[in-house]
Amino acid sequence: MTTQDSALDLAAAPLARPYRVALGRLGLALMLLIGWKVGADVAGPLYVADPLKVLWRIIADTPSGVLPRHVYVTLRLSVLGFAVGCFFGVALPFLLRRVPRFSDAIEPYIMASVGIPKYALVPLFILWFGIDDAPKLLLVGLLVFYPVFIAVFAGIRNVDRRLIDMARVVGASETRIAREVIWNSLMPFFFAALKIALPRAVSAAIIGEFLVGNEGLGFLIENSRQNFDTVGVFTGIVVATALVLLINAIVVAIDRRLNAWRPADREMEP
Amino acid sequence: MALLEIRDLEKRFDGRSGHDAHWVIRGLSFTVKEGEFLTLIGPSGAGKTTLLNLIAQIDGASGGQVRFQSEIAPIGDPKALRPGLSCRIGYVTQEDNLLPWRTALENVLFPLEVQGRLDAEGRARADMLMRAAGLAGFEHHYPHELSGGMRKRAALIRTLVYDPPVILMDEPFGALDAQTRTQLQEDLLRLWNLGRKTILFVTHDIAEAIALGDRALVLSRAPTTIAGEHAITLPRPRDIRGIMTHPDFAALYQRIRAQLQ
Repeated sequence: MTTQDSALDLAAAPLARPYRVALGRLGLALMLLIGWKVGADVAGPLYVADPLKVLWRIIADTPSGVLPRHVYVTLRLSVLGFAVGCFFGVALPFLLRRVPRFSDAIEPYIMASVGIPKYALVPLFILWFGIDDAPKLLLVGLLVFYPVFIAVFAGIRNVDRRLIDMARVVGASETRIAREVIWNSLMPFFFAALKIALPRAVSAAIIGEFLVGNEGLGFLIENSRQNFDTVGVFTGIVVATALVLLINAIVVAIDRRLNAWRPADREMEP
Repeated sequence: MALLEIRDLEKRFDGRSGHDAHWVIRGLSFTVKEGEFLTLIGPSGAGKTTLLNLIAQIDGASGGQVRFQSEIAPIGDPKALRPGLSCRIGYVTQEDNLLPWRTALENVLFPLEVQGRLDAEGRARADMLMRAAGLAGFEHHYPHELSGGMRKRAALIRTLVYDPPVILMDEPFGALDAQTRTQLQEDLLRLWNLGRKTILFVTHDIAEAIALGDRALVLSRAPTTIAGEHAITLPRPRDIRGIMTHPDFAALYQRIRAQLQ
């Protein structure tokens, strides 16, 4: 065997694996769809909607603007709530860093408040803020706030002190240190939190819509159920899942780009 | 007047219970002249890093005095410390402490950037130093893509690029193999010759201390004091690879080793 042959063998091996994995995943997806179809046939249309009917419903309701409108309402609520929760989740740890004693005092209370079941507070929010967007925004915001706050708080505590000392010695101001050293150090923590917080934001928005309002994917699902329209329920679930998957894919792509410096995300060089 | 004066310096670390406080440095005094290459030799755990941290004002002393030019470092209040004394004391630490999210060149430019001095002249200087240290072609590599020796060079250049009059170096070549080490020592002497800075170079390697310095101080075990002082009269420019065969080398080496024990 020539050296060229062995080089070809080595090149072929890593190519084949991802190809097989992709094929396996596709096969699994197909099996799930078939399982769904069989389930629908066995359980009857009232309990499990036929996947083909769901597909036709999505195709039919998209050009009319009914489905896009629901998606838009849910997405808007998720994004706004996410922005609010994320803002406080990032800003608060940075402020607390400036007052370490207060930070130590308040930490156990914040950690204890993680345990409050946020969904249980919704009736209270409705009582306080009415039935407009406000209670739903608050719910989404709170559910996003906690993972982001905890990750950023822990991230700030874990910043390598030696990097901060180095930056001080070369003349960096405290603002500069916060922006350069601390912010970049906690990026991996922040993105880990985003991967939890973003699907949560959509889930919280949908649950909020179950309870109040007359638009959005949550409303579509709940309203369809009340009208015995199982196809509508499944359509809402499928679209919501697709939405979360899409958002996650965007976060992962941004993470890859921004955090390309991390050794794990790159091929190590000899 | 000496550029840097350390007088009766004391540093105590308080134990967890408050009772078992222990002294790392006690009654340490020495001076450094402008343009001098001073090497400090001490066994592991001799408080060498602590001493440099006190001089760089990353950490505050418990007693005594650190004077740089006419300024005396504050004692007691850590918030009054001025790390790096307005960029006049550079510090090459034991670990390279490169920012992992910045490329080699971006790391080197970091001090200029935060000091608001990132102009064409600064970039040209960074380029010149990168080339002089053999880092040309690696400007856009992240630290984890560089070898240990390259990272040390990048860390050294990051300090040289903003030209502080005094540079502290804490066993910068400690964790490297013998070949890379010798190469870096030669690089350092060459860079030092470009513009003679005041350097305090901490090491546990006697040969390194002799090869590089104008004067060597031997430190005792903690609590650290000065155990001995040696003028190194070997002529410059020095040949690091051949210095061990110099007639004065062996005698000096023996005297320092005797004091280290």
